[in-house]
Amino acid sequence: MADTGPQVPRLFGGPSGWISVAVPLVLFIWFLQFIPAIAAGETLRWSIEWVPSLDVAISFWLDGLSLTFALLITGIGALVTLYSAQYLGTQPQYPRFILFLMAFMIGMLGLVLADNLLALFVFWEVTTISSYLLIGYLADEAKSRRSALQALLVTGTGGLAFLAGIVLIGFAAGSFELSEIRDVELRDHPWIVAISILFLAGAFTKSAQFPFHFWLPNAMAAPTPVSAYLHSATMVKAGIYLMARMNPTLGGTDLWFWSLTIAGGFTAVFASILAMRQSDIKQVLAYTTLMALGTLTLFIGAGTSAAIKGAMLFLIVHSLYKAALFLMIGIVDHRTGSREAEVLSGLSRKMPLTALAAVLAALSMAGIPPLIGFIGKEFLYKAALSMPTAQLWITGTAFAASALMFAVGGIVALRPFFGKLGDTPKAPREGPIAMLVGPLILAGLGLALGVNSDWAETLVRPATAAVYGSPVAVDLYLYKEVNAALILSLVTFATGIVLYLGHRRLRARLASIESWNPIHFDRGWDRFLDGFAAFAKWQAQKLQHGVLRRYIFVIFAFLGVTAAYAMWLRDAWQVQFDFTGVAFRDWAVLIFITAGAFVTATANSRMTAVAALGVVGIGVALIFIMFGAPDVAITQLLVETLVVVLVALAMLKLPYLNPKKIAEIRGWDALVAILVGTTSAIVLLASMAEPLDRRLTDYFELTSWPEAYGRNVVNVILVDFRALDTFGEIAVVMIAALGAFVLLRGTPKGEEK
Amino acid sequence: MSADLNIILPEILLSLFAMGALLGAVYTGKDKLALPILWATAGLFVAMAFWIGVSGDTDRMAFGGMFTDDAFSRFAKVTILLSAAAVLLLGQDYMTRNDMLKFEYPVLVTLAVVGMMTMVSAGDLMVLYMGLELQSLALYVVASMRRDNLRSTEAGLKYFVLGALSSGLLLYGASLTYGYAGTTNFAGIIAAAEGDISLGLLFGLVFMASGLAFKVSAAPFHMWTPDVYEGSPTPVTAFFATAPKVAAMGLFARVVHDAFGGVVADWQQIIALLAVASMFLGAIAAIGQTDIKRLMAYSSIAHMGFALMGLAAGTAAGVQGMLIYMAIYVTMNIGTFAFILSMRRDGRDVTDIAALNMLSKSHPTHALALLVLLFSLAGIPPMLGFFGKLYVLQAAVDAGLFWLAVLGVVASVIGAFYYLRLVYFMYFGTEGEPLDQAMPAIQWVAMVGCAAIMVLGIVNLFGIEGLAAAAAETLVR
Repeated sequence: MADTGPQVPRLFGGPSGWISVAVPLVLFIWFLQFIPAIAAGETLRWSIEWVPSLDVAISFWLDGLSLTFALLITGIGALVTLYSAQYLGTQPQYPRFILFLMAFMIGMLGLVLADNLLALFVFWEVTTISSYLLIGYLADEAKSRRSALQALLVTGTGGLAFLAGIVLIGFAAGSFELSEIRDVELRDHPWIVAISILFLAGAFTKSAQFPFHFWLPNAMAAPTPVSAYLHSATMVKAGIYLMARMNPTLGGTDLWFWSLTIAGGFTAVFASILAMRQSDIKQVLAYTTLMALGTLTLFIGAGTSAAIKGAMLFLIVHSLYKAALFLMIGIVDHRTGSREAEVLSGLSRKMPLTALAAVLAALSMAGIPPLIGFIGKEFLYKAALSMPTAQLWITGTAFAASALMFAVGGIVALRPFFGKLGDTPKAPREGPIAMLVGPLILAGLGLALGVNSDWAETLVRPATAAVYGSPVAVDLYLYKEVNAALILSLVTFATGIVLYLGHRRLRARLASIESWNPIHFDRGWDRFLDGFAAFAKWQAQKLQHGVLRRYIFVIFAFLGVTAAYAMWLRDAWQVQFDFTGVAFRDWAVLIFITAGAFVTATANSRMTAVAALGVVGIGVALIFIMFGAPDVAITQLLVETLVVVLVALAMLKLPYLNPKKIAEIRGWDALVAILVGTTSAIVLLASMAEPLDRRLTDYFELTSWPEAYGRNVVNVILVDFRALDTFGEIAVVMIAALGAFVLLRGTPKGEEK
Repeated sequence: MSADLNIILPEILLSLFAMGALLGAVYTGKDKLALPILWATAGLFVAMAFWIGVSGDTDRMAFGGMFTDDAFSRFAKVTILLSAAAVLLLGQDYMTRNDMLKFEYPVLVTLAVVGMMTMVSAGDLMVLYMGLELQSLALYVVASMRRDNLRSTEAGLKYFVLGALSSGLLLYGASLTYGYAGTTNFAGIIAAAEGDISLGLLFGLVFMASGLAFKVSAAPFHMWTPDVYEGSPTPVTAFFATAPKVAAMGLFARVVHDAFGGVVADWQQIIALLAVASMFLGAIAAIGQTDIKRLMAYSSIAHMGFALMGLAAGTAAGVQGMLIYMAIYVTMNIGTFAFILSMRRDGRDVTDIAALNMLSKSHPTHALALLVLLFSLAGIPPMLGFFGKLYVLQAAVDAGLFWLAVLGVVASVIGAFYYLRLVYFMYFGTEGEPLDQAMPAIQWVAMVGCAAIMVLGIVNLFGIEGLAAAAAETLVR
């Protein structure tokens, strides 16, 4: 990607270049003016109605936390865009790149400023999508496409879970406004567990916490400015922002405390060890970013005022030194053609300014005084040592991670720049000034803030207050007295030096461990995707097979179960059987019908089944006769005969039944048949027990003779009371018959076409 | 009597138009007249919608309460008429191209629409059944319109068999209801169905609900949907996905509120169960689909689940949410089907999802519009589809159906996957043979217009919120 040889870059990459620098710069200055107000404890708020009926508004607010983030986003943004104008400005895709980068910046700013959770979610997705586009910037490489998709799927899935959490918390708190939600006591709400889990799913995936960490190192396929900006300083911190933002509402429960401290602590140590394993310096930095995110999660979860204070300070510290280091390795890559720790060496003579930035940033990362990194580490240690619970875990993980960071600082700043000049693919020379400005300013800020720690206080104090929920005294200092934290720092340095000296042996050892480690999250993800696709295919075949009789089976099964359930609710199962007064002929007809039904159900040929069904129909007709309704019985007989004949005719066209197949399905069919049969029988019996509405019956019985001179009520209804209806019916039947006649006659053979 | 006829004048006019067009075309130009009839039908639908929309704000009853004309029915009728008109015009190009534009097509659609209008106005079990069957019979025929196509005939037959079965269930329920309420009139049934209703009435309700669930294609009565959607000609599928769904939902709401409004607790569980089953089935089963029409079938099943959630709330807010949801749903579907209808490669229609690959490169505008529509279907803010979901969820929560709301949220998250998968194909898929360039102006306008509504509608929902609220008020008292 890097340009070679002499070049005449357009000024800042043309108009898209300088606009992209100017926008964040202006915003940065604009946000700066709010510092005094915010530091004084104020909160600013803007709101526009959006969907008023649902109480949804587009609203923004600015408090310590959002201002800290906003300044980081715009400040680092300006430096990164300046850097990119030089780094990528000559490439044809550069305007597209800047478009995505600006989209990301707006999304990220909106995310940290949004008061409304729904608006926050929209911005959240904007960052996810623009991150996807930026990782996949080198779309021709299969690896970068895969990494981009992986990042999109992991963070996108988390985002959807987050949306579900938003909807739930909106209903639980009665508002989608963060500023209102934080006044609602939700910790005893029955949904708190679900809400917490869903929010954490969003935050953990976005901030790459274990076990969702694997996408972040892969995302480093993106161009270096993107890695520096999105995947270190800002976007991955969106999850941290969310956890910090929700801490006053969701924090304080056991679930919150343990999931954050365990996931955070584990991620921090695990990532630091993996960082030692890498030899590509960009990958090293990727893993140290994971470590920082883990540390932040750990301390936000710890939740004491000291822990939050430490986390907020560390947030700023990390953004400064990590962005500087990423930009630095970009320059090195640009000018030497390599990022390998084993190849780069002695560059300080050729690239003194780059080396200066690297050393300053690395000192801050290692936590060496008088840089701000030292203060950050001290405050984390102090918070860890003063924890009421889980003190050992938090202190231990923080210590292990810090010691490893110390060693990593050596790997990224000492090895490449000092010692004998290494043999690099390109002859090294100092980077262009536009690229050096960023890392130098960021690394220099680390020193400036360390010396003048009061400057950092103005931001850390309101941010801590916002996250903790109430104002916290913040007094940052380099040195006051010898205490446990300071001693721990000294031990950290000692351990770090030992680790750095042995880092090559350690790397080889880690590589050999990795080779037999059976758990690969990256590959596991691929397998998960394959499995998911297979599952989708399997269930599509099972659920939607296209077989009509199975559809009908499901409908009846559902109906039977529902009816049975309704009866169970009503306790209508008890049915009193009363067999007194059942005559012999009744029994005979009953047996006749039952036998017919049984033969229908067990027949192996369609003809037998249809014929047996006819027997059932005739049995029903017999019942009508026995209960004194010969006209109905005749109708029944006629219809039954007609149906048997018609069905039999149609069946001549059908293929024979396969006895083997029938045997397979008959058991299930029997089950549903028994279920539906039993329930409908009981429904019938139970219904009979209920008093029937006799209004109509009584009316017709009383009026049929005096008004229509007929004793057969049914006949009277048909020909007298509803004569017009009958007339209409006959007309319809006539027309239908005519239509059928035309159809059946068909067209004479010769006339076709 | 003349007052009664006055109330059903729109239905009468449409029926007369259908019969006149049928007879006229048979004796004159036959299929040559198909296109003018189609345009006339669509024009008539729009005119009717306008007329019904502006006419009167009073509640009127015709034929002794058999036929209701109130804000609810007017809301549903306008939605039905406009969506039917839109779908007719959208499909016209496709039908002509594939030599399927028979003059019976617009006539059958008109008859189906008359059936739907009757359904949403039904105040009596008889009218309910009449409207339902008029609609269904017309739909059975249009589903199998491509008689030379095996899939189309199979779709029609399956639809018919299952539809007949569900009609049987509905009729059985209606007879039980009649037997125990002593009347077929909703006003009479609601008087009888109060407090602890008799077992007979309860079963009547259960069976009628099952029959209606089939019509709205709620799981587990949904099985016809994917097969019929896939097998039918695409314009017919688009029709199935829009107007009949509104009508069936409207009828469902009428029955449960107008006839069984006094026993909300008795049907709430049933509808909630149908809603959950539909949402989850629609969300999960769609994941593995490769045919976009089948995918839309599952999508509509899931959407019906959400609309049913609003109904399950059993409150005016629930019905309002349901109506808004349906209006949004129909708009999204018209836009999406406008695109599906235009999907062609080398002059042949395709419905394979793979055809969407890298659409953003060959058709950037189409891809963007479709992206908006798909995001809206998935219910991702800030698109309108999200607010539709929020309305019904809110109604469910307010009605105390927390578990239903939570499950709904989960289902919508799962369901978002397959829409996003389509988006992924469009923007980041593998390079393939691009779709043909041409897209008829009507389809383009419909697609881009619907997409624009999905974005702009969030400002005030174009004022349908108040109308839906008024409509819900008349139904839930």
